[in-house]
Amino acid sequence: MAKAMLIDVSKCTGCRACQVACKAWNDLPGEVTTCLGYYDNPPDLSPNTWNRIAFYEIEREGGQVAWLFRSIRCMHCTDAPCVRVCPTGALYKDPLGFTAYDESKCNGCGYCTQFCPFHIPRLKDATVWGKGKVAKCTFCQDRVVNGLIPACAQACPTGAIEFGERDELVAEGRARVDTLKAKGYDEANLYGKNLLGGLGTMYVLTDPPDTFGLPEAPSGALAEVWQLQTLGGIGIAVGATALGLLINWLIARKQIKVEEM
Amino acid sequence: MFNTTQRFVHWLHAAAFFVLMATGLMLYIPWFGNSIALGDGGHAIRLIHRIGAIAFMLVPICYLVFNPKGLFDAMKRIFTWDKDDLGWLRAAPAYYFLGDEEAMPPQDKYNTGQKLFYLTVVICMVGFIVTGLIMWFGKGTVPAWMFRWSVILHDLCAIAYAAFFLVHFYLSVMHPLMKGAINGMLFGWMPEEYVRRHHARYYEELRSKEVLGSKS
Repeated sequence: MAKAMLIDVSKCTGCRACQVACKAWNDLPGEVTTCLGYYDNPPDLSPNTWNRIAFYEIEREGGQVAWLFRSIRCMHCTDAPCVRVCPTGALYKDPLGFTAYDESKCNGCGYCTQFCPFHIPRLKDATVWGKGKVAKCTFCQDRVVNGLIPACAQACPTGAIEFGERDELVAEGRARVDTLKAKGYDEANLYGKNLLGGLGTMYVLTDPPDTFGLPEAPSGALAEVWQLQTLGGIGIAVGATALGLLINWLIARKQIKVEEM
Repeated sequence: MFNTTQRFVHWLHAAAFFVLMATGLMLYIPWFGNSIALGDGGHAIRLIHRIGAIAFMLVPICYLVFNPKGLFDAMKRIFTWDKDDLGWLRAAPAYYFLGDEEAMPPQDKYNTGQKLFYLTVVICMVGFIVTGLIMWFGKGTVPAWMFRWSVILHDLCAIAYAAFFLVHFYLSVMHPLMKGAINGMLFGWMPEEYVRRHHARYYEELRSKEVLGSKS
């Protein structure tokens, strides 16, 4: 049932067509950037950049240099920490499996930007006054629910970004990993099959995840702790205290003779 | 006895507490009016929370600036613990439920329970201010783990504050034994008889300093 995207970095040429298509479809303005001495441009995600190609230059065993590319965007975790900490319900899980949000509900608290283990959501116009709106990849919800595929997948000229049923993409990703291993990429792996309940954006990686700036074990544990303690803890603590005081009052007002002072 | 500054900071603290607790609960607890915390309404509530936070931060600052002696005196008292505190803990259930004063050891200006409350307030106040400033100004500049722990600790402080506040409120206005206690924070003085019975050590201290008079 759940939809997903499979991004095969071994097929990615770093052309950034997905980056441009994302901006075009979602009507996101371009950003003035500065050259930082490497190819990443813009150098980071922002409220107006929901997808970008990151470039990694590594040296493999034997001195061979490899240039790797990865499209960075929302992972659409099944068990999304951002959804757990969102106090307004602005962020939610769409029945199709992606992590969607309703901008009109967002009050700009920004918890999602800090609890996301991949540092994806960004705040628009956050200031001292705290006004802001979250923004991130929407999985092209507006396209997908109308039978189209996401703009990035549509634009990719090499087929590195595939959109489809998650189960099928997992099988395909595994097959691709086997193929890559047979070609000598010993450390090829499928990233995201089981992480955080299963990621909606999975990667076929030629090298270990940290090579691509991906955490081996992303965790939403603190988001869960927060949810338990804040939504449940305060009720239990205050309720138990109030109950204790009520019992005390019922007993004390009978037992203790009030003396006038 | 509480002087004007002490009473002022208490009530400033109380006002800030109500604003902050109400806005905080509205933002995060669904059955506490969370529906108005959406979108721009939520932003307004967050803004009020920040204004309340400024008042809250003024509490220790005012105390320190206008009455450093009183502040240091209070700190000294709440960090001074001895065997009478153990005795208080043992005697407290019979005392607060049945009014049995027999086993209750003489208490200082703050009894053991009040010291515990005051300590909780001081610790939580530091916690609130440090984590609150991190959440206000540090978003995106401090490491994410620091922000996450700030959120968790801020809320733990809120839970401790909320629960202890109920006890504080109950004992100051509702418990039959504590009749007269509220005068201390309203007018600065209490009935002499109340001080003698509830805070015997403080009573002796005041007597030795010869400050006891018609009002104490």
